[in-house]
Amino acid sequence: MSLRCVAVRLSLPTMDRVAWQEGRLGRHATSCLRCQAETARYRKLHRSLEALGQITEAAPASLLAGVEHAIGGPPVESSPVRGRLAGIAAAAGAVAAAAAGTAAVVAWRRVHGAA
Amino acid sequence: MASGEVRPEDGDLLLRARNGDRAAFSELVRAHQNEVYTLALRLVADRDLAADVAQEAFVRAWRALPRFRGEARFSTWIHRITVNVAWSQRRRASRHRADPLDESFEEPVSRDLSPERAAESADMRRRLLDALGTLSDPVRSVVVLKDVYDWPHAEIAAHLGISVTAAKVRLHRGRRQLRERLWQEAGVAR
Repeated sequence: MSLRCVAVRLSLPTMDRVAWQEGRLGRHATSCLRCQAETARYRKLHRSLEALGQITEAAPASLLAGVEHAIGGPPVESSPVRGRLAGIAAAAGAVAAAAAGTAAVVAWRRVHGAA
Repeated sequence: MASGEVRPEDGDLLLRARNGDRAAFSELVRAHQNEVYTLALRLVADRDLAADVAQEAFVRAWRALPRFRGEARFSTWIHRITVNVAWSQRRRASRHRADPLDESFEEPVSRDLSPERAAESADMRRRLLDALGTLSDPVRSVVVLKDVYDWPHAEIAAHLGISVTAAKVRLHRGRRQLRERLWQEAGVAR
């Protein structure tokens, strides 16, 4: 292996995408079979790495549920209709609770008043 | 960058999500989860950890949404968060060294590949992923961000908290190691 071959081997890992596209290789690298083979390997490595960026893998199905759980439960839309329904439900709950409380107090008074 | 698609609908979803609409944010997650997970997977080379990284990235994004001014696209922003999360989680989990990615390789979800890229064999891809998995975390991060996602050196250096020179040195080392591992195994004379 000549000094020129060594120089080519040292320079190949530093070449960026643009350098590859523009074919910035010295005269030696284009005439030496050994350097051509090495250059071909690096070029293939670059292409394969670049191609990885075009490939998307499927996220696990649990990812979305995990995010929703972490940010505070299932998605809640800021819909006015939903807001009104929630308000009505809350009011009904409050009325029911108040009625139950009143009934309990009346019952307690009846029992203790009679005694 | 892999997330080169422009998604105009992100604007409306972002606006609603910033106002606390969790359903809108879920839509954003659904739209970007594959790319975020893939980036995390390339960075940490471990499927379980990548899922954790992706989830944490989205949760951080949700919390930071009120401060997101829309100067970058949502995809760019969530990618940056993912890199930060991956880097911090990988350091935390460094004792638990992941095995190289030797699981069955999943075919791409959906991407239009140029004929040249499509010609790259699945075998080469699998070997490349295996080789990436054997790199040290600092070296792999730089190789993935530069050669897979085409980030500028300065941005890589800033996100990883290293100098531009250090980023270039790691890149050089990573490429050389990949080349050695890919073709030494195949019995090709060096």
